[in-house]
Amino acid sequence: MDIISVSNLSKKYDKYLAVDNISFNLKEGEIIGILGPNGAGKTTTIQMLLGVLTPTKGEINYFGKNFHMNREEILEKINFSSTYTNLPWILTVKENFDCISYFYNIKNRKKRIKEIVELFKLEDLYYLKISSLSAGQLTRVNLAKSFINYPEVLLLDEPTASLDPEIAQYVRDFILNQRKKFNVSIILTSHNMSEVEEVCDRVIFLDQGKIIANNTPEKLAKSIDLAHVDLFITDGLKRTIVFCKKNNFKYKESGRFLKVDISEDKIHHFLKELALVGVTYNQISIDKPTLEDYFLQVVKRKKNENS
Amino acid sequence: MKIHRIYGLSLRYLYYFRKSWDRLSDAFYWPTIDLLVWGITSSYILKVAPNFPQFILIVMSGLLLWLILWRAQYEISINLLEEYWNRNLINIFVSPVKFSEWILTVMLLGFIKAAFSLPFAAFLAFLLYKFNIFMYGYYFLIFILLLFMTGWSIGFLVSGIILRFGTRIQTLAWTMIGLLSPLTAVYYPVSVLPFWVQKISYLLPPTYVFEAGRALIFNGVLELRGLIISLILNLLYLILSLWFLKRSFNKLLDQGLAKLY
Repeated sequence: MDIISVSNLSKKYDKYLAVDNISFNLKEGEIIGILGPNGAGKTTTIQMLLGVLTPTKGEINYFGKNFHMNREEILEKINFSSTYTNLPWILTVKENFDCISYFYNIKNRKKRIKEIVELFKLEDLYYLKISSLSAGQLTRVNLAKSFINYPEVLLLDEPTASLDPEIAQYVRDFILNQRKKFNVSIILTSHNMSEVEEVCDRVIFLDQGKIIANNTPEKLAKSIDLAHVDLFITDGLKRTIVFCKKNNFKYKESGRFLKVDISEDKIHHFLKELALVGVTYNQISIDKPTLEDYFLQVVKRKKNENS
Repeated sequence: MKIHRIYGLSLRYLYYFRKSWDRLSDAFYWPTIDLLVWGITSSYILKVAPNFPQFILIVMSGLLLWLILWRAQYEISINLLEEYWNRNLINIFVSPVKFSEWILTVMLLGFIKAAFSLPFAAFLAFLLYKFNIFMYGYYFLIFILLLFMTGWSIGFLVSGIILRFGTRIQTLAWTMIGLLSPLTAVYYPVSVLPFWVQKISYLLPPTYVFEAGRALIFNGVLELRGLIISLILNLLYLILSLWFLKRSFNKLLDQGLAKLY
């Protein structure tokens, strides 16, 4: 069943078309990542999905119901967290949770607040004012807040930005765990490509307000055939560089380390040629193309088009 | 409308109130200073002009009635500004909270906070100048209601302007109500104003309340006709200001609440 179904959604600010006729869906228990360069329309899309930005055109349906017509009922079942929104800074975490819990129809508020405080390890921060929290702690509190109403759909804008790696991993595991336990459907935006690859089932790639790709992270990464070959060259560094230049392979040199960007089908030929010219190396690693490579390729293409 | 959501919003603003020195000083410090300054001035005038014994009553009643009007307006505009300053409006409206629930909450909070600051000021006025607010009897409740209605209208108008133009014009939250002070004849009869100002004055609902208050003090008679005009004007302004606020909110949704964070 489609939990969210978006059809022909557009948002125009005067002459600027921020989102251009996009359609997509989110299935039950699915995690979708919305990616794209700055200004691609990610936040605009999320805002429209939350009902805090009026679309110029198009329709959003949650659970088969029109969002505009059933706003109150739908917002009971969804929640949102962003690194870029604040909570009232003069109030403590406890006071914020108390108030927010009343915004939703939660049966046992105190029990639920206790649960999320434990789940997000917020015991030490519970009686602190929001103003005294670090950026990472605030992100964690914001994220905990978004789970307060047992959401069926979560919209997360940069959920792990400014978290230290350990907590960020905890949050990623938590998101996956919530999906596993409660079949929560999630849409998230992130600039952390490895995070998107780890967490998301599907990626929607936006560029200039349009969906330019809608696929699994693996398939998107595979759509570019660029791999990276890392070599520690013991003899023949100059010969290797000459060879790269001659064949138009992009490379990066660092001491005796050489990183060469090369299409997957040419790796065999590349290594064979190095052997023929007598280059020796004692370390080699081959990295397959990643989502980050896909992202960089799109950004590069955009820059080229603009210039 | 859901009671639990209105309760949640109220709780949040009452937490602000309890914790913010700014809000506490607004509720208690400034009314005290006003009462002291105006009370001492009135006492002095009474000494040099003893043939006008009602003067202190007029000033004290004007001060306390003005406090009601100011409180109702201030509550609406300041609570909106608090959300702006905290970049938090989006957190309210991604929840099921409705715009109408938010409006009702800030209206109720004006009552709740006035229930703290007004008795405090009234007690001080009685203690220092033997001014008894209960001399108005039950009419005082009518005065309160009419002044609250005007305060809400101005609050909605100011909030609508802030929603449209942002915090760069936030000073209106403190200054706009001040415009009404000379025009509504808080401490003096409307008849002392220039004729053309009187015309404007009679378009403003609080004018009738302040006039009715003075009439009660001087003649012990309630000017019911004036209060009915005040009610009609209040209802008209309340509807217009609510319409303007809702339009401004919709306009903001066109731009997106995201621009607030």
